[in-house]
Amino acid sequence: MAPKDKKMVLPLSVMGKQDVGRLLREVETLNEFLRQSAIRQSDNTVKMPRTSRFMDEIVQINELNPLVEADRKSLVDFLSTVKTKAPVLHMSFNADPSPLFTQKLMTWLRKEIHPQVLLQTGLQPNIGAGCVVRTDSKYFDFSMRHHFTEKRSVLIQKIKGEK
Amino acid sequence: MNSGQLFLILGSLAAATASFVWMALRTTVTPVKEADILQDSEHDVEHIFNNEFRELLRNRGRLLFEKIISENAMFLQQDLRLTTSQLNEYMKDEITKKLQEEFIKYEQSIADAKNLAVDSITKTQKIMEEQRQQMSQQLTEEITKEKARLMTNFEENMADIVNHYVLAAVGDQIDLNDQLEYILSDLETNKQAIIKDITDGA
Repeated sequence: MAPKDKKMVLPLSVMGKQDVGRLLREVETLNEFLRQSAIRQSDNTVKMPRTSRFMDEIVQINELNPLVEADRKSLVDFLSTVKTKAPVLHMSFNADPSPLFTQKLMTWLRKEIHPQVLLQTGLQPNIGAGCVVRTDSKYFDFSMRHHFTEKRSVLIQKIKGEK
Repeated sequence: MNSGQLFLILGSLAAATASFVWMALRTTVTPVKEADILQDSEHDVEHIFNNEFRELLRNRGRLLFEKIISENAMFLQQDLRLTTSQLNEYMKDEITKKLQEEFIKYEQSIADAKNLAVDSITKTQKIMEEQRQQMSQQLTEEITKEKARLMTNFEENMADIVNHYVLAAVGDQIDLNDQLEYILSDLETNKQAIIKDITDGA
């Protein structure tokens, strides 16, 4: 059973709302399964459903026991809260990010920005390099295209031959 | 009054009466005599102015008339020639004078028209020259503006072309993992703004 004073954390592999939703459905399925098992009682040969990698990680990180109802309930509450209230960042890159890249990025984001921040990645090949970050109300362009646009006057000066 | 005087008066009256009677009678007889006189006169006239004398007078009159006619014709011819000559001279002088006056007026009119035309042409040339200068100036300004605009467009387009080329050429060559440090650096720079936005939004 998890310590009561410890705050639950999301594993780095759980990035977006879809992952959280998938986890939530999985916990609910597990709940349902255990409830039905408790009703049956006589059948001891029932096999536990196979859990996903996300489920394994979140249970391991938060020191939860899926067979304990209180842990499952706290997990459901936590995931529901994350799903509804966690901030979401949309980041676009010029190529599909690798898992290692997203892991490093999520590590930094969870550490520096918000411990429950979720990330949704996108693809914008025309930005050249860097990334574009969009929150609910702001837009941050850290791309090479934006950098070039800002430095256009320098380029025009060079084209003109000015020093 | 005595009888003598009366007698005398009566005698006078009688004498007067007799005189009247006599005069009356005498007057009655005179026309006969005048007719005779007239007849006699005619006879005398016929006798003096006979046909020969009349022919003579007629010839003389004819000659005299011809002479007078001839002289008058000559005089008339001379006068006519003189008048014609004078008239010709007068007409010549008048026509010459009128023609000279008309020529002077005509020349003056031509000179005025020429001056007017020259003035008009000069003004037109001046206006055209001013308009040409204005148009030239405007054209130069427009060309300069257009040139500057084209240069600006060219430079901006060239900048876009260079940017697009660099992005296309370099973008695929830079691995995303190599960009991580750069991305985290940008995120770190704008961390507070992102946190503030997330916090306010939440």
